Amino acid sequence: MEHQIIPYCDLYAAYLRDESRTVGTADSISFPRSEEEVRQILRMLHETGTSVTVQGGRTGLAAAAVPRGGHIMATGGMDHVLGLRQENGRFFLTVQPGVVLLNLRKMIAKKEFPTAGWSSESLTALEAFRTASAHFFPTDPTETTAAIGGMAACNASGARSFRYGPMRPHITALRCVLADGRTVALKRGQHFADGLSFSLPTLEGGAVEGTLPDYTMPRTKNASGYYAAPDMDLIDLFIGSDGTLGVLTELELELLPLPRICWGVTVFLPDEEAACRYAEAVRAQVDCAAAIEYFNSGALDILRQRKAQGGVFATLPDLTMAGDGAAVFTELHCHTREQAMSAVKTLGTLAVQCGGAAEKSWVARTETESETLRHFRHAVPESVNSLIDERKRVYPGITKMGSDMSVPNGRLLEVTEMYRRTLGEEGFQYASWGHIGDNHIHVNILPRDMDEHTRAKQLFLRWAGTVTEMGGAVSAEHGVGKLKAPFLTIMYGQAHIRQMRQLKRLFDPKMQLGRGNLFAVEDEA
Amino acid sequence: MRTIVCVKQVPASNEVRLDEKTNTIIRDGGEAVINPFDSHALEAALALKEQFGGTVAVLSMGIPAAADMLRQCVARGADEALLLTDRAFAGADTLATSYALSKGIESLGDFDLLLCGKMAVDGDTAQIGPELATRLGLPHVSDVFSLECDGAAVTVQRTLGGCVQTLRLPLPAVLTVTRELNVPRLPSIAGVLRAEEAEISCRSAAQVGADETQCGLKGSPTQVVATFLPQRTRTVQEVTDTATLPAIIHHIIKGGA
Repeated sequence: MEHQIIPYCDLYAAYLRDESRTVGTADSISFPRSEEEVRQILRMLHETGTSVTVQGGRTGLAAAAVPRGGHIMATGGMDHVLGLRQENGRFFLTVQPGVVLLNLRKMIAKKEFPTAGWSSESLTALEAFRTASAHFFPTDPTETTAAIGGMAACNASGARSFRYGPMRPHITALRCVLADGRTVALKRGQHFADGLSFSLPTLEGGAVEGTLPDYTMPRTKNASGYYAAPDMDLIDLFIGSDGTLGVLTELELELLPLPRICWGVTVFLPDEEAACRYAEAVRAQVDCAAAIEYFNSGALDILRQRKAQGGVFATLPDLTMAGDGAAVFTELHCHTREQAMSAVKTLGTLAVQCGGAAEKSWVARTETESETLRHFRHAVPESVNSLIDERKRVYPGITKMGSDMSVPNGRLLEVTEMYRRTLGEEGFQYASWGHIGDNHIHVNILPRDMDEHTRAKQLFLRWAGTVTEMGGAVSAEHGVGKLKAPFLTIMYGQAHIRQMRQLKRLFDPKMQLGRGNLFAVEDEA
Repeated sequence: MRTIVCVKQVPASNEVRLDEKTNTIIRDGGEAVINPFDSHALEAALALKEQFGGTVAVLSMGIPAAADMLRQCVARGADEALLLTDRAFAGADTLATSYALSKGIESLGDFDLLLCGKMAVDGDTAQIGPELATRLGLPHVSDVFSLECDGAAVTVQRTLGGCVQTLRLPLPAVLTVTRELNVPRLPSIAGVLRAEEAEISCRSAAQVGADETQCGLKGSPTQVVATFLPQRTRTVQEVTDTATLPAIIHHIIKGGA
C-alpha cells in the first residue's frame, strides 16, 4: 500500500494553495478513495509522526487546507454517495467527504443518485424520496465547488444560515479516522459528555477519554475553535475542528423540504446605519426571512465600475437608484403566496421607515429574476478578488484582507460604527458585505501597497479584541485555519488555547493533523 | 409616447408536453415564464417612457393563466395590460396569432411604437413582429440591438451577417429586439404591490372584433404533421488493439456503426 503515498512534485502544485491565496509546502501527497485507504495511510504516517493536512475542495478562506510541510491527504476522490435513509418522513443522505456541494445540489434537485452499492433499504428510501415533495440541503456558501468534508471541518455557513444555521445541525452522523488509524463513529444523540468529561469509544476497541475546554462559546454565529460545552453531543466536537482531530470519512446529512416560495427582495438605503436599522427590523418582524445580506457603498461602487468595464459583469442590473447608499437583500422562504406578499409589503414599510423608498428596491420572484440577484451577490466577492489580483501584480505580497467576525444581537450598530471609524482613521479603501442578519459583516480592506497591507493586519487584530469584548466571535463561518489562529488566542486567551491543545493531544498525540490550524505558530512548542 | 409591447408566456423548461392529436405544445400546467426576448422589449419601452413620458401597454394572447405574466409586466412598470383569451384562439400558427394580436392592438388605440422580442424561445419562428408590421402597414426592423429615439423617429442598429446596419424609421413603427439591447430591470416593491391591485383586461375574439375563421386552428394554414423528440443514440466501442484503431476510425467516419 506504500504506493498510496506519492512523493511531492510540481505536478501537484495546485494542492499547495486554497482560496485564501496563500501557498504552502509539502513532501508527499495521497488520494485515498475509501475509509480503509485513509486508515492505512494514516497508520503509516503515524509511525514517523509526519504532519498531515487534509484537503477537500480547497475553497476555504482561512488556509486550513494549505499544507505546512509533511503530507497532503486530498479527499476529492472520496466522492461517493453511500445511501439514503428515511425516518418519520425525514430523509438523510450519507456521503463521502469529497462530494462537491454543486453536485450534491443537482442530485437532490433531480432526485437522481449513483446508486451502485446501495443497500436495499437505501433503494427503498430513494423510491419514497422520489414521490416526496422537493427537498434541498440548506447550507449555501458562496463557493459551490466546496467539498462537504471541508464544509463540515470549518462548520461552513452561507446566506441562508440566518434561518437554517450552519452545517452543524444538518450533520446527523459522521465517521472519522484518528491520526493513529483508529476510527470513531458518531450518531447525533448517541454520545454525550458528562459535564466536561467524556469517553468516546473507538471501533477498534478502547476509548478516547478526557476533559473538554471550559470556555463559554460566544452566543453568536461562531466557527472559532473547538465546539465545547457541558454535556454536549460529542459529534459536535468534530464539526468545525478544522482538520485537527481526525479525517472525516463519512457524513450523514439531513435534507429539508424545499419551501414552496423563494423570493428575494433588495432594498436600497441611504447609508450603513440605515441598513443596520432595517436589518434589525427585518429580523424582528419578518418571520419567513431565510437570509438578510448587506452590501455597503464601497461594494456597490466596485460593481458599478465592473459593470462599466463590460464582460460578464455587463449584465448586472442597473445600480443608478442605489446612489451612494447601501443595499440589503432579504430572501423569503414561504409556504403560501399570501405570506410572501405580506412579507414584501412589510419590507416596503420598513424600508420607508429607515429612510429608503418602496420604489428603490428589486423584487425577484421568477427563476430568471432570482438568477439576476444571485449574479449580483456573487459578483461582489468576485470583483474584489480580481481587484486584489490586479494589485498583486504590482505588490506580490498583497493578499485579500477580509474579516469574518460576528457580534451578538444588539451590537450591530456599535460594531459597524467602530469599523467605519477605524477604517477612516487608517484611510483604507474597503468594501463590506455579508450576513447582516447574523450581525456578521465581512469587511474587506483593499490594500494599495504593502504598508497598508501590514496596517490592515494590525487593524484586524485590534478588531478581534474589540469584538471579543462585545461577546462576539473572531471567525463566524470561514473557520480559524492558519490565518486566524492569532485571533483565536485573543478571543479565548492562552489558558484556553492550552486546554484546546490538550484536547487535541487526546485524539492526535503526535500533533500530526492540520499542523498550523487553530494554534498560532508561537504557541506550538 | 405610447408603446405597445407584445409578450408571450413560454414553458420555463425545455421539458414540454405535446398534444398527441394536434402536435402542439400543451400550455396549461407546468411552470411558465415571460419569453426572455420579450423582457428586453418591455425594458426598452419602460426606458422610453422614462425619457419621453407617456404610457406602456402590454399585450398577450394565451390561456387565462397568462394574466400572471402580464401582472409581472405591470410590476415592472407597464401601465396597461390586455390578454386575448378564448378557445377560438387555441392552436394558432403565426398567421392566426398575428391576426388576433393585430385586433388586440387596434382595441388598444393609437401608438407610437410596437415592440416584440426577436422570437419566442418555444416556437423559434421570429415571424410575429414582421407579420404584425405587414398587417398594420407600418415600417419595421427585426433583431434590433441598439435603439435611440428622438420622439418622432427611431434610429436602430441590427447585425446582418458580419456587418452592422443602422436604420432610421419614422414613428409609428414596429421593432423586434435582441437580448443585447438592454438589461431588463427587476420590479420594485412598489411595482409588485401596485400590480396586485391592477386590472388585467381579458377579452375574447368577439370582444376585439376578430373573425373566428381567421383565429386559432381554423385560421392557421400551417398544420403540424408530427412533433417528436429526436432520439439520440450513443454507442461505445472499446478498442484494445491500438493497431486496429486507424481502420476502426475510418470505418466510423464512413458511416459504419
